[in-house]
Amino acid sequence: MNPGDRVHVERGDTEYEGILMPSTSDTEVVVKLDGGYNVGIAREHSDVEVLETDVFAVGESETNDASTVEFDDDLPTVALISTGGTIASTVDYRTGAVTAQFDAEDVLRAVPDLAGRANYRGRVVANILSENMTPDVWQDLARAVYEEVEAGADGVVVMHGTDTMQYTASALSFMLDTPVPVVFTGSQRSADRPSSDNVMNAVCAVEAAKADCAEVMVCMHATESDDRCALHRGTRVRKNHTSRRDAFETVGAEPLGTADYAGVDSEEVTVSFRRPHVERDEHEVALHDDLETDVELLKFVPGMDPQFLDVLEGKAGVVLEGTGLGHVHTDFIDRIGDLVDDGTTVVMTSQCVEGRVCDRVYDTGRDLLDAGVVEGEDLLPETALVKLMWALANEDDPETAMGRPLAGELTERSVPWT
Amino acid sequence: MSTPEHDYEDLGLVAGLEIHQQLDTATKLFCGCPTTRREPEEATRSVTRYLHPTRSELGEIDDAALEESRVDRAFEYLAFDTTCLVEEDDEPPHRIDDEALEVVQEIAALLDATSVDQGQVMRKLVVDGSNTSGFQRSMLVGTDGEIQTDDGPVGVADLLLEEESAGRVEERDDGVTYALDRLGIPLVEIGTKPDIRSPEQAQEAAAQIGMLLRSTGQVKRGLGTIRQDVNISIAEGARVELKGVQSLADIADIVRNEVGRQVELVAIRDELADRDASVGDPRDVSDTFADTDSGVIAGAAKVMAVPLYGFDGLVGREIQPDRRLGTEFSDHVKRSGAGGIFHTDELPAYGVTAEEVASLREAVDASDDDAVALVAASASVAESAIDAVAERAEVAVEGVPEETRGANDDGTSRYLRPLPGAARMYPETDVPPVDLDLGAVETPELLTERVDRYVAEYGLGEGLAEQVAFGRRMPVFETAVEQGVDPTLAAGTLESTVTKLRRDDVSVENLRDDHFLAVFEAVESDELAKEGVDPVLRALAEDPEMSVEEASEEAGVAGVDESEVRETIAEVVERNGDQVEEEGMGAFSGLMGEAMGALRGKADGELVSAVLREEIQKRA
Ligand SMILES: [Zn+2]
Repeated sequence: MNPGDRVHVERGDTEYEGILMPSTSDTEVVVKLDGGYNVGIAREHSDVEVLETDVFAVGESETNDASTVEFDDDLPTVALISTGGTIASTVDYRTGAVTAQFDAEDVLRAVPDLAGRANYRGRVVANILSENMTPDVWQDLARAVYEEVEAGADGVVVMHGTDTMQYTASALSFMLDTPVPVVFTGSQRSADRPSSDNVMNAVCAVEAAKADCAEVMVCMHATESDDRCALHRGTRVRKNHTSRRDAFETVGAEPLGTADYAGVDSEEVTVSFRRPHVERDEHEVALHDDLETDVELLKFVPGMDPQFLDVLEGKAGVVLEGTGLGHVHTDFIDRIGDLVDDGTTVVMTSQCVEGRVCDRVYDTGRDLLDAGVVEGEDLLPETALVKLMWALANEDDPETAMGRPLAGELTERSVPWT
Repeated sequence: MSTPEHDYEDLGLVAGLEIHQQLDTATKLFCGCPTTRREPEEATRSVTRYLHPTRSELGEIDDAALEESRVDRAFEYLAFDTTCLVEEDDEPPHRIDDEALEVVQEIAALLDATSVDQGQVMRKLVVDGSNTSGFQRSMLVGTDGEIQTDDGPVGVADLLLEEESAGRVEERDDGVTYALDRLGIPLVEIGTKPDIRSPEQAQEAAAQIGMLLRSTGQVKRGLGTIRQDVNISIAEGARVELKGVQSLADIADIVRNEVGRQVELVAIRDELADRDASVGDPRDVSDTFADTDSGVIAGAAKVMAVPLYGFDGLVGREIQPDRRLGTEFSDHVKRSGAGGIFHTDELPAYGVTAEEVASLREAVDASDDDAVALVAASASVAESAIDAVAERAEVAVEGVPEETRGANDDGTSRYLRPLPGAARMYPETDVPPVDLDLGAVETPELLTERVDRYVAEYGLGEGLAEQVAFGRRMPVFETAVEQGVDPTLAAGTLESTVTKLRRDDVSVENLRDDHFLAVFEAVESDELAKEGVDPVLRALAEDPEMSVEEASEEAGVAGVDESEVRETIAEVVERNGDQVEEEGMGAFSGLMGEAMGALRGKADGELVSAVLREEIQKRA
């Protein structure tokens, strides 16, 4: 008796007939009835008879037909790089959960609306959920993007799960000098539902990859409607909502630009930029993919056990997410001073998320500065973590580098309305 | 055409019902929002979305879904202060509502159905935009039930618990506007087995199921809260799904008329076979009508015609009251965007002359034994519409087509679309499976049993008991009686008084359960006289925000305490001192009227009567 078999189940006076499904538990036989409904029937009270084996290949993707996308000389070439995530995901019948299973080629099949907008080169760097992302995958991805650009891609679209998209986008912002747009996109509603935001996000991302802003960006819904995507700078973007389509926001500024979407049958997507940005071909492509990954991000909370600091001993770098202007309990300051003396670079950011750290206003702040803590200016804590990993591996003076802008991650003037 | 009576057994009538009923739960099936209906004007925000096709669980891409999604349609959703991100498909569904689960299990018990051990919520693909997610969440709860009718038992094939769709507000060329207030209201679907053999049995089965549903006391009432679909076929006919029968009382007629339609279509088929009938190729006959005086045709860019060889007289043949075979053709062209068709059985008319009909026949090589159907419209519409006519005419030669039809108000029906394929479903992974156990629910008392109990226990008359038990205010009655309110007062108020107010055009829909309960409490605590109930309810219906006390003031029946009653009655007796001394108790009925008048319904009649008696005795 295997999933995909046609079975007859007798449970008391009631009989069920249908296809056996991979069950979600040991206690239930799950059968897909002819009407389409799945029902669970208690195993211990049931007699199951197999009527026919392997009626359906349950859960197997049948799409092995080669894609027949033709190359069009008049169209730019966009590299589609997949890391997994809900933009091209499907139901896992063992766990019942939604997982990513498609490569970049499948994305083209899953999002036919992409056809005719560019010539595509598909590539799979990883097939993982974004919560399972690690810095070594950021490095693999940076190398893949570098190779694609070297190979002549006019733009790159990275398909990424939304949970940690902001970290990866930050990492690539520091590791790459790029002459072409590198656009991250994903979906907040999985691709296995008709209402998924993947189609509009992918279409807008491809259009943004054809445009003239040569930065690492995140392209996701700007509103709850399917009307426009916002183009966020990779180092200033944050996922600020668990489930909404428009979860991503640029912190401390307006997004770089927008991609206006006119509907499923319209070719028309208007990409426009409203803030200064790096132009296409302004830089030569270059890769600086070293990272010092021995860095942690610690959020300070009232009542926190000081032993947390013991764990940080010997770390190359620590980003603190302090309160308000950048504070921790005064009792922590001496221990932090010890860390610095021991060679750890300690950077202060704020859990306020919006605004700039300033440790010169109150005594606690001044004491932290005296202890050797570096002010993280208006860096997002998550971006500060990635930046510190990169700066420790690539900059001669990481402490100073943390305080000046390298990839649009830090602003010197606080003008959030721009 | 009157509806003829048929021998349904002889014709091999087979029918089944599908009943959809909204539940009156506190919150929706998959979120904490109330199940309150709203007006589109009350919307506080709106979102616009597109839907895209998807793969079904077994890996098949569905052609119908793909086809539908090709149409570039934007869906606008109106949201309210009573809806949340779940309805907007911007938050995953919450766990399935406990209250709805309880009610549906009660319904399973009432239907004598077997519940599955574990319910699994499925996503049923719906790409018409009526659900923001692109699917309807639905769970099979039970199978194998049975209800009783006078003509024998009717099996219940399945019982489903699902989410109601969003209500359609407006349809435009480029899209549809839906309101999210209805989306997610728990909906129960009951499908019977095809055990029904007569129109009367269909109606009785529907009534029986309706009664069982209302016995839970937790179903919504009023227009659109219950929808009845009927599946019908006769032996020589075909299965037809009749959607959206609004009124229970129409079901028998709907069945009769559908049987009649199928009988007529079979007769037409036989006649066409005798005549060796066939359908010709559509042709452009615009030239024939180049100089026509017919306004409808002259205004069109193109006139297309199809010769129907051997059809003469049959296109105009009535198959349902006031609906002809030609009407079926017209229904089919509406999908192409055309208004309707003309055919030679009804011409000359509509400004088309006999000469034009003759040259039309000539143009398509049709003789007097043949019929010609024509469509006048824009070029593309006329072409696709005439193909639709030809296609439907071909089917008439074969007999009765399987199809989905919409019920009309007059008991007839119109063509809507082909029968749907098997439902396209895959598991809703966001909602964990639910263990179901009928042993854990209490089977509710049937409404019919309730009527008997009201008569026996509360001494209500049979008629009033039935009104209360089957009425929508039965739960208020139950609550009131539980709180110690006199059953006769509660029943009389909720049914007789409310009916009287409604006849006087009082807006009784404004009266909420808490209004009634507060009024009863005021009566029971002697703050309000029984005579004051009617005017106070009128005042509350006028301004539902008032308290009972304010309404009493407003209605001029604010309660008077006993001392005031005594004082007023003393005055009345004083005024009529002579009469009282002369007649003694004989003056009672006259003075009672005067006293009640003086107190203007503010005092309880029994109290007035008792005090008056006392006062008269004092004098006499
Ligand atoms: Zn809600």
